[in-house]
Amino acid sequence: MHMADALLAPAVAGTMYLCSGAATGYSIKKVRALNEPEKIPTMGVMGAFVFAAQMINFTIPGTGSSGHLCGGMLLSAILGPEAGFLTMIGVLLIQCLLFADGGILALGANVWNMAFYGCFLGGMVIWSRIMKKSMSKRKIMAASVIGCILTLQLGALSVSLETLASGVTELPFGIFVGVMQPIHLAIGLVEGLITASVLIFIYEARPEMLWQYESSGQTEGKFSRRKTLGILAVTALVIGGLFSLAASALPDGLEWSMEKVAGSAELTAAGEAYETAAKIQETTALLPDYGFKTGESAAGTSFSGIIGAVVVIGLCVLCCYTLKLFKRKKQKEEAA
Amino acid sequence: MSKLQQAIDNLHEADREAAKRSGKSRIHPVSRLCVCMAYIGIVVSFHKYDVTGLLGMSLFIIITGILEDLSFIRGFQRIKYILVFVVLLGAVNPFLDKGIVMQTGSIAVTGGMLSMITLLIKGILTVYCAYHMFMCTGIEQLCRALRCLKVPKGGVTVVLLIYRYIIVLLKEIQRMSLAYRLRAPGQKGIHIKAWGSFAGLLLLRSMERAQNVYDSMLLRGYDGEFRYEILGQEKTGKGLSIAYTAGWIGIFILLRCFPVVQMVGDMIISPGR
Amino acid sequence: MVNLDHLTFTYDGNREVLSDISFHLKAGETVGLIGANGAGKSTLLKILTGLLTDYKGQVKLDGMDVNKKNLAAVREKTGYVFQDSESQLFLSTVYEDVAFGPRNYGYSEEEVQKKVMSALQQVHIEELKDRPIYRMSGGQKKLAAIATILSMEPEVILFDEPSVGLDPKNRRNLINIINRIGGLKIIASHDLDMIFDTCDKTILIEKGKLIFYGETAKILTDQRLLEESGLELPLSMQIRDGNRKINT
Repeated sequence: MHMADALLAPAVAGTMYLCSGAATGYSIKKVRALNEPEKIPTMGVMGAFVFAAQMINFTIPGTGSSGHLCGGMLLSAILGPEAGFLTMIGVLLIQCLLFADGGILALGANVWNMAFYGCFLGGMVIWSRIMKKSMSKRKIMAASVIGCILTLQLGALSVSLETLASGVTELPFGIFVGVMQPIHLAIGLVEGLITASVLIFIYEARPEMLWQYESSGQTEGKFSRRKTLGILAVTALVIGGLFSLAASALPDGLEWSMEKVAGSAELTAAGEAYETAAKIQETTALLPDYGFKTGESAAGTSFSGIIGAVVVIGLCVLCCYTLKLFKRKKQKEEAA
Repeated sequence: MSKLQQAIDNLHEADREAAKRSGKSRIHPVSRLCVCMAYIGIVVSFHKYDVTGLLGMSLFIIITGILEDLSFIRGFQRIKYILVFVVLLGAVNPFLDKGIVMQTGSIAVTGGMLSMITLLIKGILTVYCAYHMFMCTGIEQLCRALRCLKVPKGGVTVVLLIYRYIIVLLKEIQRMSLAYRLRAPGQKGIHIKAWGSFAGLLLLRSMERAQNVYDSMLLRGYDGEFRYEILGQEKTGKGLSIAYTAGWIGIFILLRCFPVVQMVGDMIISPGR
Repeated sequence: MVNLDHLTFTYDGNREVLSDISFHLKAGETVGLIGANGAGKSTLLKILTGLLTDYKGQVKLDGMDVNKKNLAAVREKTGYVFQDSESQLFLSTVYEDVAFGPRNYGYSEEEVQKKVMSALQQVHIEELKDRPIYRMSGGQKKLAAIATILSMEPEVILFDEPSVGLDPKNRRNLINIINRIGGLKIIASHDLDMIFDTCDKTILIEKGKLIFYGETAKILTDQRLLEESGLELPLSMQIRDGNRKINT
């Protein structure tokens, strides 16, 4: 689910940074308003917990493979959605820095795809709606499974759309989504079950630790319909925006996938797609592309270009090592 | 669980290496972060057929790697985390984009082949760049950079705390899973019956630890406000940092806007032209 | 300095953890707090620091009541060394962590630095000043945790199982350091040999009740009383007794 930098165009990555940034600003405001000084150490340790818990292999019976738990959902169920969201950002940042799991440029997109859906949709909408009147084991199970499946579906859809909008793949929309969604349906189900079993364990051992446990007995929920609609609207807006971006980057691909469904198109039909994509890329990219000639060279790639690269890189390596040699000599002289 | 041990080793190694370099570095962490972001942004903005241009961009990685004594092998090991998705996506391109864009003798190069190669190069370069950046700054200096960029102190504290407790909790998981495996030989992971209790117990203990951390803060006068500074790097030179940032970003833009490498190649192949 | 009168504490309103405990401790004393697991040692320490305040009876520190109103003043006078150093050290380097307390009490950076260095000197880890916490051994972490308390110059220091997890050399070092630190020290531990080496007086509690309060030498040689409370004679006493038996 973690997206690498290479899969995103700068414009898409920037847009996702803006979206996640807005959600971050909102969360910071909310967490500050709550003014619970014990939140910060708890967020830190829980973030480390989510990070560490990703390393646990939960065996899925009958398959031989293993699953992990869903951080966003779990954190919201314990810290509340806003603090959970902020904690997830910290986790994702450290994951991309220490393990290259996700990229720095892609951080905005990853925060949106995993933390936003997990915490705001999974936590704020689904968890708090289901726990509104009372809490029970069955409800925790339902909330976790529904929450995880939904957040992973939306996350996977966003990954597909972001990748397509960035124009890095020739894969038609239909196939991409057709592969991504079912896989993540299965993953979501497993993650939901694992998350549910952890939360049920907590519910039995220390129920007061769960978010909204105290308030869940009251019939009057804290959560308004307006807020639910707000989150759903934002989600719809972002996905819609991504959709149109992806569609404009690959209009033929989209067409093709629809024809494919109807059973009339062939694989080669996507031939024109890249040209359209390239045009869009050119207009949306921050910097222009040079040397786009047909024939001998394609967008800068040519035989002589490769030779040039090899020579330049070779020279550069040579220079670096000479420089280092000098540096060492100098250090030795200074030391002596 | 060798994955766990590997994660712990990786963390230790990264931390040690980063500490070694960040102590010596005279470049401000904000500069490093800016150059890194600019580099990644420019690399991914290259056209999907532009292999030559991307090869030119690899100069930054090579120069930083050699001059900072960074291990290229260690950097390469991290690429595996993104490899699956990038390769899967890239590998289908040659089958879908069959338009011939280049002819070298009898070899016809299709667009798909080129876009697959550029995607891979982009993946490799971006991962290397982030790796080098982290190895030259380390978590404390990076958090210092975040502070300079006006990230709230609470947020930075959360990042530092996560980093601080990852190894503590990973070791706890390692002990727990060893204890589990010793009593459940032949099982690869945690059985469904123990899903909740295994992670749940760890979670309870983590919360207990969080409570202790909070108590120890309270007992030392914590009132919701964090009063600490991330020190170190007294040696950072302002001029040097600005020169570093401007210089590299200038080079990136040059490499992006002009086919520098291509021109060198043209000169070699047909010098008179 | 520390005065307890008829202290009773119940968790969740029904489980009585401490009942009717009274003792008076003077400044400069080192007092051991012993008892079997679950006897109520940790709860007692938490009450003394003001982490738990809804108790019955009277707890006074330097003449003032330990209650929610006086928390800031109480905490300025007391220091608490946690059993798990990992929980106590949460900032990136030793210096930052040791400086955390003084900074919170509003000292200037200059004074903070002075306090930090003096605290580090007291536990002999000046050279670890800039070391990140995760790159230290268990013994070093314990000393750093003690330094975080010393930098606040508290009048009362509470230790929760300070010798747990330390090897003999580090344990010996810890005992020497504790003996050198000034102020009233209360040490809760199962390590009766350490109590014997550090404390003038000892408090024995069992199931929340005060069984004994008096000279350390007296209680730690009283095999019957110790065994009744779920404890054993310190190893050094057992060896001495063994030798005596062999000699006679």
